[in-house]
Amino acid sequence: MLYSFFGLTAILSLTAYFVRSRNINHGITLAYVGLMGGLGYYLTQHVGKPLNDFFYCDTLGLIFYFILLLVTLVSSIHYVKFVTFRDIKSDVESLHNAGTIFFTGAIVGVLLTSHFGILWAFMEATTLGASILIYHNRTRESLEATWKYLFICSIGIALAFAGVLFLGLAGQQVSNIDFSFSTIRSVSTELNPVWLKACFLLIVTGFSVKLGLVPLFNVDIDAKDASPSQVGASLSSVLMNAGFIAIYRFYEAFSHTSILPWMNKLLMITGILSLFFSAVYILKVKNVKRMFAYSSMEHAALVMIAFSCGGIGYFAAILHLIMHSLVKASLFFQVSQMHRIYDSKLDEKIGSYLRVNPLGGIVLLLGFLSIIAMPPSGMLISELMMFQSLIANNYWWIAILVLLMVLLIIYGLAIKMLGIVFLKKSSASINMRGVTNFESVIQLVLIIIVFYIGLFRPEIIVQSINSAIESLPS
Amino acid sequence: MANFLIILFIMSLIYVAKVEMVKSYFSLMAVQGIILFGLAYVELKENEIVQLLFILVETLIFKAIFVPIFLSRITKHKIHRHHSGPIKGYYSVLFSTAIIVISFLCGYMLHDELGADADLQAKYFTAAISSILVGLFIAINNRDLVTHLISYLVIENGIFLLSLALGSSMPMFVNAAILLDIFTSVLIMGIFFNKMKDYFQNTDSSQLSQLKD
Repeated sequence: MLYSFFGLTAILSLTAYFVRSRNINHGITLAYVGLMGGLGYYLTQHVGKPLNDFFYCDTLGLIFYFILLLVTLVSSIHYVKFVTFRDIKSDVESLHNAGTIFFTGAIVGVLLTSHFGILWAFMEATTLGASILIYHNRTRESLEATWKYLFICSIGIALAFAGVLFLGLAGQQVSNIDFSFSTIRSVSTELNPVWLKACFLLIVTGFSVKLGLVPLFNVDIDAKDASPSQVGASLSSVLMNAGFIAIYRFYEAFSHTSILPWMNKLLMITGILSLFFSAVYILKVKNVKRMFAYSSMEHAALVMIAFSCGGIGYFAAILHLIMHSLVKASLFFQVSQMHRIYDSKLDEKIGSYLRVNPLGGIVLLLGFLSIIAMPPSGMLISELMMFQSLIANNYWWIAILVLLMVLLIIYGLAIKMLGIVFLKKSSASINMRGVTNFESVIQLVLIIIVFYIGLFRPEIIVQSINSAIESLPS
Repeated sequence: MANFLIILFIMSLIYVAKVEMVKSYFSLMAVQGIILFGLAYVELKENEIVQLLFILVETLIFKAIFVPIFLSRITKHKIHRHHSGPIKGYYSVLFSTAIIVISFLCGYMLHDELGADADLQAKYFTAAISSILVGLFIAINNRDLVTHLISYLVIENGIFLLSLALGSSMPMFVNAAILLDIFTSVLIMGIFFNKMKDYFQNTDSSQLSQLKD
C-alpha cells in the first residue's frame, strides 16, 4: 500500500509538472489530497503495526499525518486563489504543484518510516521539494532565499548523515545491528554513549534548519519571507512537525540510555538560545511574514524546552505543536490576503485591517491571541503545562528566564499586530480586488479547532498523545 | 597504502584551503575523488563485487570525473579568481593545519572509544573530521558561491571517509545515500548557481543581502 502511495506520488508529481492546463493541474493536486485521505484511512486501521520492512504507523506519525493532510488541502485551495490574482505563468504553477506533491510525499515518508537511514533520505527530499516551492516567485529575493536554503540545508543534512554514521560506529560493537528504530531501541543500552552523544548532537544541529531553531535558523526565516504565504504556512507547520519527529525518533531510541540527561540539556540549551534570538528579532522586525517566522521559532523553542523537561513536558510539547501547526498556517494564509490588499509586507504600511477586511481582521486577531497563548487559545494550556514541567524539575531560574523572554515576544507582537488590526496608517494603500471571505472562513475554522482543543481537550487527542509518549521514560 | 592515501588526502585539504584560482578547485576535487577511489578499493576489496563496483563507480566516475567537469562547465570563462574572505593566503594554510592537528588530537583521544578495529577507524575518523571542519572553514571564510559549492563537496568527501571507518558493515546504504546527496545537491545547486550568475552578474555572496530584518 505504502509503496503504491509513493509510486503514485511520483507519477502525480511528474504529471503535474508536464500538464499546463490550470484546471487539470489543480485537479491533480486535489486528487493527491484525496489519495492522502485514502492512505489516512488505511493508517487508522494499522496504528501500532508495521506497514512493511521499512515503514510503520505509530500514533505520533498519525497525528502529524492528519495535520499534513489538512494543511495541504487548505494550502491547495489557497493556491488556486493566489494564482488567479497574481496571474502566475502556467509553467511556474505546474512546477509549484509538482513540488507540493513531492514535498508532501517526502514528509509522509519522514512521518511513517521506521528506519533511520530512510528517515534521513526523506529529510533530504524535503529540502529539494521545499527549494522548488521557495523559488516560486522568481524574484531576486526568492532566488537568494532558495540558494541560502539549499546550501545551508545541504550542509545541515550532511551533518545529520554524519550523525547516522556515528550511530553506525556505535553499533559496530553489537552484532547483527540494522538501522531500524526498534533494533536501535532494543540495543541502545549496549551502545557506546560517546558515539550516541555525537550522533544526537549532529542530528539536532542538522535538523535544526527544519524546525527553525538555533543554530541554522536564518535560512528558514528567509525562506518563509521570500516564498508565497501558503509555502510559509507549510514550512511553519508540517515541515516543523517533520523536523520534530526526526529528532524525536532519535531521542526515543536513546531515551533509555545513560545519555538521557545530556540529551535533555542539549534540547534545553537549543530551546533557550532559540527563544532568545526570536525575542530579539521580533522586537525589531518590521516585515509581517518575518515576524510570524520568528514567532514559529519561538514556539519551536518552547516545544524543545517543554520536551527537555520530560514527564508532562512531553505531552505539552506535542499538544503545542499540533495547535501551533493549525494557528500558524492560518496566519500565513491570512498574510497572503493582506499582501493582496496592501501590496506590502511591512507593518507600517498595513493598518485598520479590521475595518478594511472584517473577517480577515478577526482571523488575524484570534490568531494573534492564539500565538501569545491568551484564553481561550488552547496554546495557553500547553504553555502552562510547560511551566509546570519546568517547576516540577526545579528549573525555577529557567522558568523565570523563559517567562521574561515570552513577555518580550508578546510585547513585540502586540505592538505590531494591534497596530495592523486597529490603527489607521496614512501610508497604507488599499486594493480589495480578489479578496473574498471564503479564504478567511477556512482559516477561522483552523483557529476554532485550536480553541476547541484548548477548551474541551477532546479525549481522542489526549489519548493519542499519551499513546505517542508512552515509550518515553516518565 | 591506505596510510599513504590518507596523508595525500590531508595534504590536498591544506591545498584546498589555500587555493585562489577557481580552476584549481576543480582539479583538486578530481584528485580527491581519485584518492577516495583508491581508499575505497583498498578497504573494501573483500566486499561483494556488486557493492565494490558501485562504490568504485561512485568515487571514480562521479566524484573524480563528473562533478569537476560539471562545475567547470557551469563556471566556464566567467570566474577565474574567487573572492577571498578575511583569512587569506598562507594564514589559511596555518588555519587548516591547526584544524587537522586538532582532529588528530580528537582521533587520538577517542581511540579507546572506537570499536574492535580501532586503528583502522582512528585514521579514517581523523581524516574525515579534518575534511568536514576544513569544508566548514572554507564555507565560512569565502564569499564566492563556487567556493561554497566546493566546501560542500569537501564536507561530503569527509563523510565518505567516515563511512569507510565503518568498514564493510553498511557500505551499500551509506554510498547510495552519499550518491543521492551529492547528485541532487550538486545538480540543483548547479542549476541555481547558473540562475544566480545571470541575475547578479557575478558570484560574490555579499550580494545576497536583500533579505534582512
